[in-house]
Amino acid sequence: MTPRTISNRIRALRFENGEMSQAELGRRIGLTRQTLAAIEAGKYSPSLEAAFRIAEVFKLDLQQVFQWNSEDSR
Amino acid sequence: MPYREKLAWLSLTAMALTFGPYFAFAGRSAAMEKPLPNLHLLWLFAIAAGVQMAILGVGRLWLRHKERSEGNLQAPDERDRAIEYRSVRAAYCVLIGGMILVGCVMPFNSSGWRIINAALAMIVAAEVVHYATAVLSYRRDA
Repeated sequence: MTPRTISNRIRALRFENGEMSQAELGRRIGLTRQTLAAIEAGKYSPSLEAAFRIAEVFKLDLQQVFQWNSEDSR
Repeated sequence: MPYREKLAWLSLTAMALTFGPYFAFAGRSAAMEKPLPNLHLLWLFAIAAGVQMAILGVGRLWLRHKERSEGNLQAPDERDRAIEYRSVRAAYCVLIGGMILVGCVMPFNSSGWRIINAALAMIVAAEVVHYATAVLSYRRDA
């Protein structure tokens, strides 16, 4: 079975929003810079609450920040 | 490197520097087979535990001061808590397995300091698994 993954646009969104640093974004949503780096790299899936907080910072819907790459969409 | 990964490395180093030499010496047959109560080994363990606590105390204070001055000192977040949960769960399995071995199997074929040292070794092994799991989790998810 092909593994499904969650991808995100956080890195691009940070740069589109005044080159916000990982530390700054982390501070605003209560995550460490290292956790933000892990989320951006797709190595850690945030909780639903953290995902909503991230989307809220960029004033976007959740699906505009995070994408679920299912087998069907490949 | 995250602050809590540094703490895990510090704990692993402290254990290697203190309990490594203790078990290398106290784990020998010649040391364990002296007549009971053989308090010499108890003193050695107390010294190892004391030195470990001193290393951890000084190391944690230094790390905390360094991280705070660099503005990196933050409360644990959800990933830190998930890694801690995973680490404690792995350590608990080792501890329970070790205690079953020491408490239910060893009394049939061992006695005295062999059993005491085995119990201490299982506690240390559980701690090693705890911090090693944390380090591996931070490395894998980095």
